[in-house]
Amino acid sequence: MSLDQYRKIAEPGEIRAIERLAYRLKGRSFIHVNATSVGGGVAELLHRMLPLIRESGIDIQWKVMKGSKPFFDMTKNLHNSLQGKGKTITKKMWELYEETNSRNAKRLNLEGDCVFIHDPQPAGLIESKKGGVWIWRCHIDISTPDLVPWYFLKSYIERYNASVFSVSTFAQSIPIHQFMVPPSIDPLSEKNIDLDDEYVNGVLEKLSIPRDKPILLQVSRFDPWKDQVGVIEAYRMVKKYRDCRLILAGGTAADDPEGKVVLEEVREAAGDDPDIHILLLPPSSDREINALQRAADIVIQKSIREGFGLVVAEALWKGKPVIGSAVGGIPLQIVDGINGFLVHSIEGTAYRIRQLLHNPTLGWVMGGVGREHIRKNFLITRHIRDYLAMWIAMENSRQKVIYI
Amino acid sequence: MIKPFIFFECIALVKLSGRKASNIIEFLEIFKRVSPECVFHHMHQYFLRSSAQPIHYTNDFAVWVAEWLEEKSLAERLANINPYAYASVEELRWETIHIIEDYLTEFPPPRPVLPGGEFYFSEGVTIVVPTGLKATNVEEFTECLEKVDRSSIYFHFFEARLRLGKERDDFSEWLSTTLGMKDVAEEIRGFDAYLFEIDELRTRIKGLLVGELNESRSIQENS
Repeated sequence: MSLDQYRKIAEPGEIRAIERLAYRLKGRSFIHVNATSVGGGVAELLHRMLPLIRESGIDIQWKVMKGSKPFFDMTKNLHNSLQGKGKTITKKMWELYEETNSRNAKRLNLEGDCVFIHDPQPAGLIESKKGGVWIWRCHIDISTPDLVPWYFLKSYIERYNASVFSVSTFAQSIPIHQFMVPPSIDPLSEKNIDLDDEYVNGVLEKLSIPRDKPILLQVSRFDPWKDQVGVIEAYRMVKKYRDCRLILAGGTAADDPEGKVVLEEVREAAGDDPDIHILLLPPSSDREINALQRAADIVIQKSIREGFGLVVAEALWKGKPVIGSAVGGIPLQIVDGINGFLVHSIEGTAYRIRQLLHNPTLGWVMGGVGREHIRKNFLITRHIRDYLAMWIAMENSRQKVIYI
Repeated sequence: MIKPFIFFECIALVKLSGRKASNIIEFLEIFKRVSPECVFHHMHQYFLRSSAQPIHYTNDFAVWVAEWLEEKSLAERLANINPYAYASVEELRWETIHIIEDYLTEFPPPRPVLPGGEFYFSEGVTIVVPTGLKATNVEEFTECLEKVDRSSIYFHFFEARLRLGKERDDFSEWLSTTLGMKDVAEEIRGFDAYLFEIDELRTRIKGLLVGELNESRSIQENS
């Protein structure tokens, strides 16, 4: 993977900017730390970003923290609490958090010119800061957190030089610099790379999904925030007027009891309708998801709550009109009525599906605009450019206009 | 020796203040104290966004008042502000305050927005990067204008107005002072700039320059 491969896809100015910024930062060290090397959006993104940044001459390193199962149980609870839906975190649990972070601080060499700490799990590593610019990258929606855990975490966050949020509404009142940098998709990854019709047809055949009628698709894990049952209700409202198929594709972790409950509810709601396809896909199904998105006529993302919802960008990149709830980062990706529709109810979802099935040309036009919107705003090259720019901005934090 | 026009592009990072307003009174109180860069940012960030977004209003204040407070009349008054009619961002800030306060003497304050609809104050940090492109005459200038990123037009046209003051921009300054093209410069300064999409602006300036070039070529051929 090389930056050259993106020249024909991304805005030329984006690539030029990366080269200029990287020239200024050449030879300097850029450390990223997160909690896992596989699975999840952060790891996926770092895997793709690393070679591109390294190629541009920056000494980039990715370090992964280690922790026990009780530590990760606690941080999962912390994660839920920061999203306003956690359980009590005891003093003992906080002590485990501090101990684990302290142990990792000793294990990992974190002396770098710019240190990016991703999400709450390794936030306590700030204790070991000796120099450089330290930035806390928050990938989740913390707009309405449970207050006690947030105040605890805040005592660490306030010691960073800056924090970064994906959406402006996620920002908090903290006395450090706060930036908004939306996440991105990689157009050359397995999830987004162009596929030919033969491959797409092969995937649908393998999954026993006939292409005999319009396909509606929602891709999301089976959890209560994704409202797959609401999507089935909307589909049923549409079905009175238009024949179509609904695919609900996603996964659920083996150790996630909540996910299993949701999956059962979804199966029950679907009943024996042969036009509803519930697909439980393994984590390594990026190409299959890509094929499903390409086969769909309309993509839906009817979340009740959403971090950023990059699956919307993935579908728009494939030229599909997307109907999504106006939550989290979805309104940044869907420009209502231009590349899709923002909805606020099951009825609204059904109405917009009917509208797009009635007028496929509208969906085709929206899809074209959507792809361009993603190309200009949500590709990995823009994301890399913003990270490098932010590093430079923090080294010149008194200036509002910085000449490279 | 002609002083070349050096094209820059820019990255406009969004810096969040963490301050938000859920009603117009709160908005007004915060707006009075935010940085000039914050006022400028909310008046201009529209121009750097993707063209997928429809023209509604070009400043964030008017958009918020229309979409979230649903006060169409106030939104229209805010949308009609021409930021370039003021000598400084401070004057622009006071005009905005004046419009809102004036409105509040005529009408009762609108209801607060629902959670999630608050106005989030932010400001831009601009990182300016050289493109390596420079021009010493109109032909080269036109070619470069075609090649540069949208952010370059934003930087030299919109952001320059903050640096240079009222209705002046890098393009018209150079064309006027270095190439002596005072008429073209005047035409560019006369654009109703606040209603232009970046790409539209690029096309209009290019059109003016190509017109000038064609005219001077035909004069040369006839003489």
